[in-house]
Amino acid sequence: MSQILLDIKNLGFCLEDRWLFRNLEFSVPTCSFIAITGPSGVGKTTLLRSLNQQIRASEGNIHSSLSREYKTSMIFQDLQLSNGASTLTNALSGCLSRHSSLRTLFGFPRNEKQECLNWLAKFGLENKSHQWASTLSRGERQRLAICRTLLSSPTLLLADEPVASLDSSWAIKTLKIIKDTQGKIGGSVVCSLHDEEQVRQFADFVLHLNPDNPEAWTWEKISPTQA
Amino acid sequence: MDLGKNLSNPSMKMQHVPWHSRFDLLGITVLIFFASSVIALPSIEGSGRDLDYLGNLSRFAAQFFPPDWSILDRTLSGLLETIQIALVSTLLAIILSFIISLGASRNVAPIWLLWPTRMLLNLIRTIPSLLWALLAVVIVGSNSLAGVIALTFYSVGYLAKFFSETFESADLSSQKALKSLGAGPLQAFQYGLWPNARPIIWSHCLWMLEYNVRSASIIGYVGAGGIGLHLKLYAESADSWNKFSLVLLCILVIVTLLDFAGEKIRKSLRDKLDGVTS
Repeated sequence: MSQILLDIKNLGFCLEDRWLFRNLEFSVPTCSFIAITGPSGVGKTTLLRSLNQQIRASEGNIHSSLSREYKTSMIFQDLQLSNGASTLTNALSGCLSRHSSLRTLFGFPRNEKQECLNWLAKFGLENKSHQWASTLSRGERQRLAICRTLLSSPTLLLADEPVASLDSSWAIKTLKIIKDTQGKIGGSVVCSLHDEEQVRQFADFVLHLNPDNPEAWTWEKISPTQA
Repeated sequence: MDLGKNLSNPSMKMQHVPWHSRFDLLGITVLIFFASSVIALPSIEGSGRDLDYLGNLSRFAAQFFPPDWSILDRTLSGLLETIQIALVSTLLAIILSFIISLGASRNVAPIWLLWPTRMLLNLIRTIPSLLWALLAVVIVGSNSLAGVIALTFYSVGYLAKFFSETFESADLSSQKALKSLGAGPLQAFQYGLWPNARPIIWSHCLWMLEYNVRSASIIGYVGAGGIGLHLKLYAESADSWNKFSLVLLCILVIVTLLDFAGEKIRKSLRDKLDGVTS
């Protein structure tokens, strides 16, 4: 039986006298993939940042049943990588929460480096592990940011347009990796997406935000074609 | 949109900008600079005697040529000592500056530590390198150790300020991202902020090394070791300007080489951080 990770009640966000969304109500069950859709500027990023508790919603509340040892991680739209660090170091920094500051002062354990190299290979970055992140292409940087976040093993993964800069083949491959990884650990994904085909393939639930009416959002349960 | 039509529309007038709106803080500073320079001009006076300036200059400059190559060995050993002083003092300054700069960075240190550290750095910067050298010579005597001590303290004043400014202006987003992924403050600094600041920090260190080679050439004048002592001896003895010119020539070659290498390394670091691959 699936548990509820997040329970959202009457959530609303007002930005400069304009409501982006209001009376939003939905739940995030374990092992689920929720797609947030809607045109640019409708409030997808704002909703994700509210769920990540980076910003406070104007009204309503978010009840989290995640205990201390489970955590929420986010894939940011602007990636937020360490440009002057290598691809491998960026990926390894997703494992920082596993260790004390003293342990990581002089590097990471050998087995963890190997684990990260295996992850980089999944994302097609194995030959670029020693390159600075700044020298990677936008698509490669996006894959690296996803890899780093997945290595932090979040129970709830929030992803802000994670495949926006990827070609269709890498986008499908990446969404599949995200869904499989979260499925294995019993975690969930809340992800903003623009491509309808990707939504149909991966999402269990779709939250569609309406740009014309902040209260006219829709919540739909669908059966993904890629289980 | 028909741009040409809009441009030819007589009803579209050029927006009137009041003359005083051009004077922002930078404009006023430039204006004050030029005005003060012009006001200061009359107070700059010569000796009042009728001297043959150009004749004096050409007679003096002629004494520099040709440089006396017979002292090349002695000069090179003095120059080596100068470079050694610069290297050791820059290394010590980098270590001290890194620690102090953390206390002077707004985004790293707590406020109670910030201002005392910044005041300390201001105090260090107030003292010029020659005065540091004099102080060091008084304490440890006339030798190259005095030079190392003097330049270390002098460099810390500048390097720690450059480092703290770099930490404050570096891209902080990755540091924040790592904190949100569960990293501690030290981990977020080491793996988030430091990699973004590191290329600029190294660039500052290189600049300081170049600067210290130049400074180490002069502090010998007050007995703090290096080639400066040679310069002093030749300047004070009669008919030694050709020896003096050889020392200057050697310093010029070293400084130019360092400048060239420093610029190359700095450019490669900048390009790498900007994502320019060769």
